[in-house]
Amino acid sequence: MQRIPYGVPPDACPNPWLPLDRELRAQGLRAPDAAPVRAVLCVTVHVDGPAVEVGRKQFPAGPHTAGRYAIRRGVPRHLEILARHGMPATFFACGYDVEHYPAVFRDILAAGHEIAAHGYLHEAWDLGEDEPALLEKTHRIIQRELGVTPVGWCSPSGRKSHRTLPALRRLGYRYDASEKDQDRPYLPASPGGAAADFIMLPNNTVSLDDYPFYFTGHSLAAEAYDNWVQEFEALRRAEGYVHLTVHPKAGGGSGTPARAAALDRFLAYVAVQPDVHVMTLEALARHCLAHPDSWRNA
Amino acid sequence: MSADKAVLVTLNVQGIGPEAAAQPESSLHGRDAHGRYAYGGGLARVLDMLRRQGVRATLFWPVFEAERCRDLLEQSLRDGHEAASQGNAFEDLAALGDREGEMLERARDRLAGLTGSIPRGFRYTSSAFTPDTVPLLHRLGYRYDSSAIDDDAPYPLDDDGGPGMVELPWSEGLCDATHFSRRVTQDRAYAHWVEQGDALLAADGYACLTLHPRADNGVGRAARLRKVEQLLERFRAAGAGFMTCAELAARHAHSG
Repeated sequence: MQRIPYGVPPDACPNPWLPLDRELRAQGLRAPDAAPVRAVLCVTVHVDGPAVEVGRKQFPAGPHTAGRYAIRRGVPRHLEILARHGMPATFFACGYDVEHYPAVFRDILAAGHEIAAHGYLHEAWDLGEDEPALLEKTHRIIQRELGVTPVGWCSPSGRKSHRTLPALRRLGYRYDASEKDQDRPYLPASPGGAAADFIMLPNNTVSLDDYPFYFTGHSLAAEAYDNWVQEFEALRRAEGYVHLTVHPKAGGGSGTPARAAALDRFLAYVAVQPDVHVMTLEALARHCLAHPDSWRNA
Repeated sequence: MSADKAVLVTLNVQGIGPEAAAQPESSLHGRDAHGRYAYGGGLARVLDMLRRQGVRATLFWPVFEAERCRDLLEQSLRDGHEAASQGNAFEDLAALGDREGEMLERARDRLAGLTGSIPRGFRYTSSAFTPDTVPLLHRLGYRYDSSAIDDDAPYPLDDDGGPGMVELPWSEGLCDATHFSRRVTQDRAYAHWVEQGDALLAADGYACLTLHPRADNGVGRAARLRKVEQLLERFRAAGAGFMTCAELAARHAHSG
Protein backbone atom coordinates (compact mmCIF):
# COMPACT_ATOMS: atom_id res chain seq x y z
CA MET A 1 0.00 0.00 0.00
CA GLN A 2 2.88 2.39 0.64
CA ARG A 3 3.39 4.52 -2.42
CA ILE A 4 6.38 6.44 -1.13
CA PRO A 5 9.25 4.04 -0.59
CA TYR A 6 10.78 4.47 2.80
CA GLY A 7 14.23 5.99 2.80
CA VAL A 8 13.83 8.31 -0.18
CA PRO A 9 15.36 11.73 0.49
CA PRO A 10 12.84 14.51 -0.02
CA ASP A 11 14.44 15.73 -3.23
CA ALA A 12 15.07 12.31 -4.76
CA CYS A 13 11.51 11.52 -5.87
CA PRO A 14 11.71 10.67 -9.57
CA ASN A 15 10.00 13.20 -11.82
CA PRO A 16 6.71 11.64 -12.99
CA TRP A 17 6.03 14.44 -15.45
CA LEU A 18 8.68 13.85 -18.09
CA PRO A 19 6.25 12.07 -20.46
CA LEU A 20 3.91 15.06 -20.12
CA ASP A 21 6.81 17.38 -20.86
CA ARG A 22 7.61 15.44 -24.05
CA GLU A 23 3.93 15.49 -25.06
CA LEU A 24 3.68 19.26 -24.59
CA ARG A 25 6.84 19.88 -26.61
CA ALA A 26 5.64 17.61 -29.41
CA GLN A 27 2.43 19.65 -29.53
CA GLY A 28 4.36 22.90 -29.55
CA LEU A 29 2.86 23.85 -26.19
CA ARG A 30 6.17 24.27 -24.39
CA ALA A 31 9.03 26.46 -25.49
CA PRO A 32 12.13 24.53 -26.63
CA ASP A 33 14.29 26.28 -24.04
CA ALA A 34 11.78 25.84 -21.17
CA ALA A 35 12.79 23.79 -18.13
CA PRO A 36 11.36 20.26 -17.98
CA VAL A 37 7.98 20.09 -16.25
CA ARG A 38 8.52 19.10 -12.61
CA ALA A 39 5.08 19.89 -11.22
CA VAL A 40 1.52 20.26 -12.43
CA LEU A 41 -0.94 22.78 -11.00
CA CYS A 42 -4.65 22.18 -11.39
CA VAL A 43 -6.80 25.10 -10.27
CA THR A 44 -10.30 23.96 -9.40
CA VAL A 45 -13.09 26.43 -8.71
CA HIS A 46 -16.10 25.05 -6.85
CA VAL A 47 -18.76 27.48 -8.00
CA ASP A 48 -21.22 26.52 -5.21
CA GLY A 49 -23.83 29.12 -6.01
CA PRO A 50 -27.37 29.24 -4.56
CA ALA A 51 -27.57 25.46 -5.06
CA VAL A 52 -25.92 25.13 -1.66
CA GLU A 53 -28.56 27.18 0.17
CA VAL A 54 -31.43 25.59 -1.74
CA GLY A 55 -30.00 22.17 -0.88
CA ARG A 56 -30.16 23.18 2.76
CA LYS A 57 -33.79 24.17 2.28
CA GLN A 58 -32.92 27.85 2.76
CA PHE A 59 -34.58 30.40 0.51
CA PRO A 60 -31.64 31.98 -1.36
CA ALA A 61 -32.35 35.63 -0.59
CA GLY A 62 -31.67 37.94 2.32
CA PRO A 63 -28.93 36.51 4.53
CA HIS A 64 -28.76 33.17 2.66
CA THR A 65 -26.93 34.64 -0.32
CA ALA A 66 -23.32 33.52 0.10
CA GLY A 67 -23.87 31.42 -3.04
CA ARG A 68 -25.37 34.33 -4.95
CA TYR A 69 -22.16 36.19 -4.21
CA ALA A 70 -20.33 33.59 -6.31
CA ILE A 71 -22.62 34.28 -9.26
CA ARG A 72 -22.63 38.08 -8.93
CA ARG A 73 -19.06 38.78 -7.90
CA GLY A 74 -16.86 35.78 -7.19
CA VAL A 75 -16.88 33.99 -10.55
CA PRO A 76 -16.26 37.16 -12.60
CA ARG A 77 -13.44 38.07 -10.24
CA HIS A 78 -11.84 34.63 -10.50
CA LEU A 79 -12.23 34.67 -14.29
CA GLU A 80 -10.41 37.99 -14.42
CA ILE A 81 -7.55 36.68 -12.25
CA LEU A 82 -7.21 33.47 -14.29
CA ALA A 83 -7.24 35.41 -17.54
CA ARG A 84 -4.52 37.74 -16.31
CA HIS A 85 -2.28 34.76 -15.47
CA GLY A 86 -3.28 32.91 -18.65
CA MET A 87 -4.25 29.84 -16.64
CA PRO A 88 -6.95 27.33 -17.59
CA ALA A 89 -9.03 26.05 -14.67
CA THR A 90 -11.70 23.48 -13.89
CA PHE A 91 -15.02 24.87 -12.65
CA PHE A 92 -17.19 22.41 -10.73
CA ALA A 93 -20.84 23.22 -11.25
CA CYS A 94 -23.98 22.15 -9.42
CA GLY A 95 -26.89 21.27 -11.73
CA TYR A 96 -29.24 23.72 -10.02
CA ASP A 97 -26.85 26.62 -10.59
CA VAL A 98 -26.44 25.78 -14.28
CA GLU A 99 -30.23 25.59 -14.64
CA HIS A 100 -30.82 28.97 -13.01
CA TYR A 101 -27.70 30.94 -13.99
CA PRO A 102 -26.55 29.51 -17.33
CA ALA A 103 -25.04 32.83 -18.47
CA VAL A 104 -22.25 32.73 -15.88
CA PHE A 105 -21.28 29.21 -16.94
CA ARG A 106 -21.28 30.22 -20.60
CA ASP A 107 -18.84 32.96 -19.63
CA ILE A 108 -16.64 30.32 -17.98
CA LEU A 109 -16.66 28.18 -21.13
CA ALA A 110 -16.07 31.18 -23.35
CA ALA A 111 -12.93 31.94 -21.35
CA GLY A 112 -11.60 28.49 -22.22
CA HIS A 113 -12.12 26.73 -18.88
CA GLU A 114 -13.51 23.28 -18.16
CA ILE A 115 -16.96 22.66 -16.67
CA ALA A 116 -17.24 19.53 -14.50
CA ALA A 117 -20.06 18.17 -12.35
CA HIS A 118 -20.57 18.81 -8.64
CA GLY A 119 -23.97 17.41 -7.67
CA TYR A 120 -27.40 18.93 -8.26
CA LEU A 121 -27.95 20.75 -4.96
CA HIS A 122 -24.45 20.20 -3.52
CA GLU A 123 -25.85 17.16 -1.74
CA ALA A 124 -23.72 16.56 1.35
CA TRP A 125 -26.00 13.83 2.62
CA ASP A 126 -26.52 10.17 1.78
CA LEU A 127 -28.57 9.89 -1.40
CA GLY A 128 -29.29 6.18 -1.24
CA GLU A 129 -30.77 4.67 -4.39
CA ASP A 130 -31.48 8.12 -5.86
CA GLU A 131 -27.80 8.87 -6.38
CA PRO A 132 -27.35 7.54 -9.96
CA ALA A 133 -30.44 9.41 -11.16
CA LEU A 134 -29.23 12.66 -9.57
CA LEU A 135 -25.80 12.31 -11.16
CA GLU A 136 -27.50 11.83 -14.51
CA LYS A 137 -29.82 14.80 -13.90
CA THR A 138 -26.93 17.24 -13.48
CA HIS A 139 -25.10 15.63 -16.40
CA ARG A 140 -28.06 16.24 -18.71
CA ILE A 141 -28.57 19.80 -17.44
CA ILE A 142 -24.96 20.68 -18.27
CA GLN A 143 -25.31 19.13 -21.72
CA ARG A 144 -28.62 20.84 -22.42
CA GLU A 145 -27.82 24.31 -21.09
CA LEU A 146 -24.17 24.59 -22.05
CA GLY A 147 -23.73 22.19 -24.95
CA VAL A 148 -20.76 20.40 -23.40
CA THR A 149 -20.42 16.94 -21.87
CA PRO A 150 -18.63 16.90 -18.53
CA VAL A 151 -16.01 14.18 -18.05
CA GLY A 152 -15.15 14.92 -14.43
CA TRP A 153 -16.89 14.94 -11.08
CA CYS A 154 -15.97 16.09 -7.61
CA SER A 155 -18.17 15.16 -4.72
CA PRO A 156 -19.91 18.05 -3.00
CA SER A 157 -18.55 17.83 0.59
CA GLY A 158 -16.57 14.66 -0.18
CA ARG A 159 -19.53 12.31 0.24
CA LYS A 160 -19.45 9.20 -1.94
CA SER A 161 -20.98 5.76 -1.95
CA HIS A 162 -20.46 2.43 -3.65
CA ARG A 163 -22.95 3.61 -6.29
CA THR A 164 -20.97 6.69 -7.32
CA LEU A 165 -18.19 5.39 -9.56
CA PRO A 166 -20.32 2.83 -11.46
CA ALA A 167 -22.88 5.56 -12.20
CA LEU A 168 -20.20 8.02 -13.34
CA ARG A 169 -18.57 5.42 -15.57
CA ARG A 170 -21.91 4.54 -17.17
CA LEU A 171 -22.30 8.23 -18.06
CA GLY A 172 -18.85 8.28 -19.65
CA TYR A 173 -16.95 10.21 -17.00
CA ARG A 174 -13.16 9.88 -17.02
CA TYR A 175 -12.16 11.13 -13.58
CA ASP A 176 -13.21 11.59 -9.95
CA ALA A 177 -11.59 14.38 -7.91
CA SER A 178 -12.90 13.40 -4.48
CA GLU A 179 -10.37 11.09 -2.82
CA LYS A 180 -7.78 12.35 -0.35
CA ASP A 181 -5.48 9.37 0.07
CA GLN A 182 -2.51 10.14 -2.19
CA ASP A 183 -0.63 13.12 -3.57
CA ARG A 184 -0.76 11.75 -7.11
CA PRO A 185 -3.26 10.62 -9.73
CA TYR A 186 -3.97 6.89 -9.69
CA LEU A 187 -6.08 4.29 -11.46
CA PRO A 188 -8.82 2.89 -9.21
CA ALA A 189 -8.57 -0.79 -8.38
CA SER A 190 -10.74 -2.51 -10.95
CA PRO A 191 -11.80 -6.11 -10.50
CA GLY A 192 -10.53 -8.23 -13.35
CA GLY A 193 -8.12 -5.53 -14.54
CA ALA A 194 -10.68 -3.62 -16.56
CA ALA A 195 -9.67 -1.11 -19.21
CA ALA A 196 -7.86 2.01 -18.03
CA ASP A 197 -10.69 4.42 -18.82
CA PHE A 198 -11.06 6.23 -15.49
CA ILE A 199 -8.59 7.97 -13.19
CA MET A 200 -8.66 9.29 -9.64
CA LEU A 201 -7.38 12.87 -9.37
CA PRO A 202 -7.30 13.35 -5.56
CA ASN A 203 -8.09 16.74 -4.08
CA ASN A 204 -6.51 18.21 -0.97
CA THR A 205 -9.18 19.59 1.33
CA VAL A 206 -6.81 19.98 4.26
CA SER A 207 -4.11 22.30 3.02
CA LEU A 208 -4.76 23.39 -0.59
CA ASP A 209 -8.36 24.50 -0.12
CA ASP A 210 -9.64 27.90 0.96
CA TYR A 211 -12.82 26.91 2.78
CA PRO A 212 -11.33 24.83 5.65
CA PHE A 213 -8.76 27.53 6.40
CA TYR A 214 -11.22 30.41 6.26
CA PHE A 215 -14.38 28.85 7.63
CA THR A 216 -13.05 26.33 10.16
CA GLY A 217 -9.55 27.64 10.84
CA HIS A 218 -10.52 31.32 10.78
CA SER A 219 -7.25 32.11 8.98
CA LEU A 220 -6.25 35.43 7.54
CA ALA A 221 -5.93 35.45 3.76
CA ALA A 222 -2.21 36.08 4.25
CA GLU A 223 -1.96 32.90 6.36
CA ALA A 224 -3.78 30.82 3.75
CA TYR A 225 -1.44 32.19 1.07
CA ASP A 226 1.63 31.21 3.12
CA ASN A 227 0.28 27.71 3.65
CA TRP A 228 -0.44 27.26 -0.07
CA VAL A 229 3.08 28.33 -0.95
CA GLN A 230 4.61 25.94 1.61
CA GLU A 231 2.43 23.11 0.35
CA PHE A 232 3.34 23.90 -3.26
CA GLU A 233 7.06 23.97 -2.44
CA ALA A 234 6.89 20.62 -0.63
CA LEU A 235 4.88 18.93 -3.40
CA ARG A 236 7.08 20.16 -6.24
CA ARG A 237 9.96 18.26 -4.64
CA ALA A 238 7.89 15.09 -4.38
CA GLU A 239 5.00 13.92 -6.55
CA GLY A 240 4.57 17.34 -8.17
CA TYR A 241 0.77 17.15 -8.22
CA VAL A 242 -0.72 20.39 -6.91
CA HIS A 243 -4.52 20.41 -6.76
CA LEU A 244 -5.80 23.77 -5.51
CA THR A 245 -9.46 24.31 -4.67
CA VAL A 246 -11.12 27.70 -4.25
CA HIS A 247 -14.72 28.79 -3.80
CA PRO A 248 -15.91 32.11 -5.30
CA LYS A 249 -18.68 32.37 -2.69
CA ALA A 250 -18.83 34.70 0.26
CA GLY A 251 -18.53 33.32 3.80
CA GLY A 252 -15.58 30.92 3.81
CA GLY A 253 -14.73 31.25 0.13
CA SER A 254 -12.26 33.28 -1.91
CA GLY A 255 -14.64 35.48 -3.84
CA THR A 256 -14.35 38.57 -1.65
CA PRO A 257 -11.64 41.14 -2.48
CA ALA A 258 -9.16 40.32 0.31
CA ARG A 259 -9.25 36.60 -0.30
CA ALA A 260 -9.37 36.86 -4.08
CA ALA A 261 -6.18 38.90 -3.73
CA ALA A 262 -4.53 35.99 -1.87
CA LEU A 263 -5.52 33.65 -4.69
CA ASP A 264 -4.14 36.16 -7.20
CA ARG A 265 -0.83 36.34 -5.32
CA PHE A 266 -0.54 32.55 -5.12
CA LEU A 267 -1.19 32.14 -8.85
CA ALA A 268 1.35 34.88 -9.52
CA TYR A 269 3.87 32.97 -7.39
CA VAL A 270 3.30 29.78 -9.38
CA ALA A 271 3.17 31.56 -12.73
CA VAL A 272 6.84 32.55 -12.53
CA GLN A 273 8.06 29.01 -11.74
CA PRO A 274 9.67 27.80 -14.96
CA ASP A 275 9.08 24.10 -14.27
CA VAL A 276 5.35 24.18 -13.51
CA HIS A 277 2.63 23.40 -16.02
CA VAL A 278 -0.91 24.58 -15.33
CA MET A 279 -3.66 22.41 -16.78
CA THR A 280 -7.31 21.45 -16.34
CA LEU A 281 -8.23 18.19 -14.66
CA GLU A 282 -9.71 17.07 -17.97
CA ALA A 283 -6.35 17.56 -19.71
CA LEU A 284 -4.55 15.82 -16.87
CA ALA A 285 -6.97 12.87 -16.97
CA ARG A 286 -6.45 12.56 -20.72
CA HIS A 287 -2.68 12.56 -20.24
CA CYS A 288 -2.75 9.99 -17.43
CA LEU A 289 -5.13 7.65 -19.25
CA ALA A 290 -2.83 7.75 -22.28
CA HIS A 291 -0.05 6.40 -20.01
CA PRO A 292 -1.98 4.13 -17.64
CA ASP A 293 1.01 2.06 -16.55
CA SER A 294 2.58 5.11 -14.91
CA TRP A 295 -0.42 5.62 -12.64
CA ARG A 296 -1.24 2.17 -11.34
CA ASN A 297 -1.26 1.51 -7.63
CA ALA A 298 1.37 -0.73 -6.09
CA MET B 1 21.55 12.35 26.73
CA SER B 2 20.46 15.47 28.49
CA ALA B 3 19.27 14.50 31.95
CA ASP B 4 17.28 17.57 32.79
CA LYS B 5 15.15 18.12 29.69
CA ALA B 6 13.50 15.14 28.02
CA VAL B 7 11.37 15.19 24.88
CA LEU B 8 9.31 12.15 23.93
CA VAL B 9 8.33 11.97 20.28
CA THR B 10 5.27 9.73 20.07
CA LEU B 11 3.29 8.62 17.05
CA ASN B 12 -0.29 7.40 17.26
CA VAL B 13 -0.26 5.13 14.22
CA GLN B 14 -3.71 5.65 12.76
CA GLY B 15 -4.80 5.11 9.17
CA ILE B 16 -8.34 4.13 8.20
CA GLY B 17 -8.71 2.24 11.52
CA PRO B 18 -10.77 4.83 13.44
CA GLU B 19 -13.37 5.02 10.65
CA ALA B 20 -13.29 1.27 9.97
CA ALA B 21 -14.27 0.67 13.59
CA ALA B 22 -17.60 2.35 12.92
CA GLN B 23 -18.51 1.15 9.43
CA PRO B 24 -17.37 -1.41 6.85
CA GLU B 25 -14.17 -0.37 5.17
CA SER B 26 -15.66 -0.97 1.73
CA SER B 27 -18.11 1.87 2.39
CA LEU B 28 -15.40 4.43 3.22
CA HIS B 29 -14.72 6.88 0.40
CA GLY B 30 -13.89 10.55 -0.05
CA ARG B 31 -14.27 12.55 3.14
CA ASP B 32 -14.59 9.31 5.17
CA ALA B 33 -11.32 7.92 3.79
CA HIS B 34 -8.75 10.55 4.79
CA GLY B 35 -7.10 7.83 6.88
CA ARG B 36 -5.81 6.00 3.81
CA TYR B 37 -3.30 8.80 3.31
CA ALA B 38 -1.27 7.19 6.12
CA TYR B 39 -0.74 4.19 3.79
CA GLY B 40 -0.46 6.38 0.69
CA GLY B 41 2.80 7.90 1.93
CA GLY B 42 2.11 9.57 5.27
CA LEU B 43 3.61 6.96 7.59
CA ALA B 44 6.66 6.34 5.41
CA ARG B 45 7.31 10.09 5.33
CA VAL B 46 7.11 10.40 9.10
CA LEU B 47 9.67 7.59 9.46
CA ASP B 48 11.91 9.30 6.90
CA MET B 49 11.69 12.53 8.87
CA LEU B 50 12.62 10.81 12.14
CA ARG B 51 15.62 9.21 10.46
CA ARG B 52 16.74 12.56 9.05
CA GLN B 53 16.49 14.00 12.54
CA GLY B 54 18.18 11.05 14.22
CA VAL B 55 15.31 10.81 16.68
CA ARG B 56 14.14 7.52 18.14
CA ALA B 57 10.42 7.71 18.76
CA THR B 58 7.68 5.63 20.33
CA LEU B 59 5.06 4.30 17.93
CA PHE B 60 1.74 3.29 19.49
CA TRP B 61 0.33 0.55 17.27
CA PRO B 62 -3.24 -0.68 17.13
CA VAL B 63 -3.13 -4.29 15.92
CA PHE B 64 -5.38 -3.21 13.03
CA GLU B 65 -2.69 -0.84 11.69
CA ALA B 66 0.31 -3.00 12.63
CA GLU B 67 -0.99 -5.89 10.51
CA ARG B 68 -1.66 -3.53 7.60
CA CYS B 69 1.74 -1.81 7.74
CA ARG B 70 4.02 -4.75 8.51
CA ASP B 71 6.87 -3.52 6.29
CA LEU B 72 6.94 -0.12 7.92
CA LEU B 73 6.55 -1.64 11.39
CA GLU B 74 9.64 -3.73 10.76
CA GLN B 75 11.45 -0.72 9.31
CA SER B 76 10.59 1.31 12.41
CA LEU B 77 12.17 -1.38 14.60
CA ARG B 78 15.33 -1.41 12.47
CA ASP B 79 15.47 2.37 12.92
CA GLY B 80 15.46 1.92 16.69
CA HIS B 81 11.93 3.11 17.39
CA GLU B 82 9.91 1.57 20.18
CA ALA B 83 6.72 -0.35 19.37
CA ALA B 84 4.06 0.10 22.06
CA SER B 85 0.43 -0.93 22.10
CA GLN B 86 -2.60 1.09 21.11
CA GLY B 87 -5.06 -1.74 21.65
CA ASN B 88 -6.68 -3.77 18.93
CA ALA B 89 -8.97 -1.93 16.52
CA PHE B 90 -10.26 1.27 18.13
CA GLU B 91 -12.90 -0.45 20.23
CA ASP B 92 -14.75 1.38 22.99
CA LEU B 93 -13.22 -0.12 26.13
CA ALA B 94 -16.30 0.61 28.23
CA ALA B 95 -18.53 -1.21 25.76
CA LEU B 96 -16.44 -4.38 26.02
CA GLY B 97 -17.55 -5.16 29.57
CA ASP B 98 -16.07 -8.44 30.76
CA ARG B 99 -14.13 -8.84 27.52
CA GLU B 100 -11.88 -5.82 28.10
CA GLY B 101 -9.09 -7.93 29.64
CA GLU B 102 -9.33 -10.51 26.87
CA MET B 103 -9.06 -7.79 24.20
CA LEU B 104 -6.10 -6.07 25.88
CA GLU B 105 -4.30 -9.39 26.24
CA ARG B 106 -4.94 -10.36 22.63
CA ALA B 107 -3.77 -6.94 21.45
CA ARG B 108 -0.55 -7.26 23.46
CA ASP B 109 0.10 -10.78 22.18
CA ARG B 110 -0.63 -10.00 18.54
CA LEU B 111 1.64 -6.96 18.57
CA ALA B 112 4.34 -9.02 20.29
CA GLY B 113 3.92 -11.63 17.56
CA LEU B 114 4.65 -8.99 14.92
CA THR B 115 7.54 -7.27 16.67
CA GLY B 116 9.12 -10.22 18.49
CA SER B 117 8.98 -8.59 21.90
CA ILE B 118 6.35 -7.83 24.52
CA PRO B 119 5.31 -4.16 24.43
CA ARG B 120 6.14 -2.28 27.60
CA GLY B 121 3.91 0.69 27.01
CA PHE B 122 0.28 1.41 26.24
CA ARG B 123 -1.71 4.38 25.02
CA TYR B 124 -5.39 4.54 24.26
CA THR B 125 -7.23 7.73 23.45
CA SER B 126 -10.01 6.29 21.28
CA SER B 127 -12.31 5.80 24.24
CA ALA B 128 -12.59 6.30 27.97
CA PHE B 129 -10.75 4.02 30.37
CA THR B 130 -12.79 1.83 32.70
CA PRO B 131 -11.94 1.32 36.39
CA ASP B 132 -10.36 -1.98 35.28
CA THR B 133 -8.08 -0.64 32.57
CA VAL B 134 -5.00 0.30 34.60
CA PRO B 135 -5.17 -2.84 36.80
CA LEU B 136 -5.49 -4.95 33.64
CA LEU B 137 -2.47 -3.22 32.07
CA HIS B 138 -0.55 -3.95 35.26
CA ARG B 139 -1.53 -7.61 35.16
CA LEU B 140 -0.42 -7.78 31.50
CA GLY B 141 3.05 -6.59 32.48
CA TYR B 142 2.96 -3.06 31.11
CA ARG B 143 5.54 -0.73 32.64
CA TYR B 144 3.89 2.50 31.61
CA ASP B 145 0.75 4.08 30.25
CA SER B 146 0.69 7.26 28.15
CA SER B 147 -3.01 8.05 27.79
CA ALA B 148 -3.56 10.73 30.42
CA ILE B 149 -3.29 14.52 30.16
CA ASP B 150 -3.36 15.30 33.89
CA ASP B 151 0.23 16.31 34.63
CA ASP B 152 3.30 18.07 33.21
CA ALA B 153 5.66 15.26 34.15
CA PRO B 154 5.72 11.49 34.67
CA TYR B 155 4.16 10.19 37.87
CA PRO B 156 3.62 6.77 39.50
CA LEU B 157 0.37 4.88 38.82
CA ASP B 158 0.32 3.06 42.16
CA ASP B 159 -2.83 4.89 43.30
CA ASP B 160 -4.59 4.02 40.03
CA GLY B 161 -4.14 0.29 40.46
CA GLY B 162 -0.84 0.03 38.64
CA PRO B 163 1.83 -0.52 41.34
CA GLY B 164 5.28 0.07 39.89
CA MET B 165 3.85 1.52 36.68
CA VAL B 166 4.54 5.03 35.44
CA GLU B 167 2.22 7.46 33.69
CA LEU B 168 3.90 9.42 30.87
CA PRO B 169 1.29 12.09 30.20
CA TRP B 170 0.86 13.50 26.71
CA SER B 171 -0.10 17.07 26.07
CA GLU B 172 -3.05 18.26 23.99
CA GLY B 173 -1.31 21.48 23.06
CA LEU B 174 1.76 19.58 21.85
CA CYS B 175 -0.28 17.30 19.59
CA ASP B 176 -0.85 17.76 15.85
CA ALA B 177 -4.47 16.62 15.83
CA THR B 178 -5.54 19.23 18.39
CA HIS B 179 -4.69 22.00 15.97
CA PHE B 180 -5.15 20.43 12.55
CA SER B 181 -8.61 19.12 13.41
CA ARG B 182 -9.48 22.83 13.58
CA ARG B 183 -7.92 23.30 10.11
CA VAL B 184 -5.45 25.95 11.18
CA THR B 185 -2.49 26.64 8.94
CA GLN B 186 0.72 24.79 9.67
CA ASP B 187 2.41 28.04 10.70
CA ARG B 188 -0.32 28.53 13.31
CA ALA B 189 0.04 24.92 14.51
CA TYR B 190 3.80 25.41 14.77
CA ALA B 191 3.30 28.57 16.84
CA HIS B 192 1.06 26.61 19.22
CA TRP B 193 3.66 23.84 19.54
CA VAL B 194 6.43 26.31 20.27
CA GLU B 195 4.37 28.12 22.91
CA GLN B 196 3.38 24.87 24.60
CA GLY B 197 6.65 23.01 24.24
CA ASP B 198 8.91 25.82 25.45
CA ALA B 199 6.76 26.33 28.54
CA LEU B 200 6.51 22.61 29.33
CA LEU B 201 10.28 22.15 29.13
CA ALA B 202 10.79 25.22 31.33
CA ALA B 203 8.25 23.99 33.88
CA ASP B 204 9.25 20.40 34.55
CA GLY B 205 11.80 19.53 31.88
CA TYR B 206 9.39 17.10 30.19
CA ALA B 207 7.53 17.42 26.91
CA CYS B 208 5.60 14.71 25.06
CA LEU B 209 5.05 15.51 21.38
CA THR B 210 2.23 13.50 19.81
CA LEU B 211 1.93 13.04 16.04
CA HIS B 212 -0.31 11.18 13.59
CA PRO B 213 0.64 9.99 10.07
CA ARG B 214 -2.64 11.10 8.46
CA ALA B 215 -2.99 14.16 6.25
CA ASP B 216 -6.17 15.61 7.76
CA ASN B 217 -5.48 15.71 11.49
CA GLY B 218 -1.85 14.68 11.32
CA VAL B 219 1.52 15.59 9.86
CA GLY B 220 1.79 13.02 7.06
CA ARG B 221 2.01 15.83 4.48
CA ALA B 222 5.55 16.78 3.47
CA ALA B 223 4.98 20.49 4.15
CA ARG B 224 3.77 19.81 7.68
CA LEU B 225 6.70 17.53 8.43
CA ARG B 226 9.02 20.46 7.69
CA LYS B 227 7.36 22.25 10.63
CA VAL B 228 7.85 19.22 12.87
CA GLU B 229 11.54 19.20 11.94
CA GLN B 230 11.82 22.87 12.86
CA LEU B 231 10.25 22.07 16.22
CA LEU B 232 12.61 19.18 16.93
CA GLU B 233 15.58 21.36 15.97
CA ARG B 234 14.33 24.04 18.33
CA PHE B 235 14.01 21.57 21.23
CA ARG B 236 17.47 20.20 20.49
CA ALA B 237 18.98 23.68 20.41
CA ALA B 238 17.38 24.34 23.80
CA GLY B 239 19.35 21.43 25.23
CA ALA B 240 16.60 18.83 25.32
CA GLY B 241 17.39 15.15 24.77
CA PHE B 242 15.10 12.76 22.90
CA MET B 243 14.29 9.39 24.36
CA THR B 244 11.75 6.65 23.94
CA CYS B 245 8.90 6.24 26.38
CA ALA B 246 10.30 2.91 27.61
CA GLU B 247 13.66 4.52 28.37
CA LEU B 248 12.09 7.31 30.39
CA ALA B 249 9.71 4.92 32.17
CA ALA B 250 12.68 2.73 33.17
CA ARG B 251 14.48 5.75 34.55
CA HIS B 252 11.48 6.66 36.69
CA ALA B 253 10.98 3.09 37.85
CA HIS B 254 14.59 2.98 39.08
CA SER B 255 14.49 6.39 40.73
CA GLY B 256 10.98 5.96 42.16
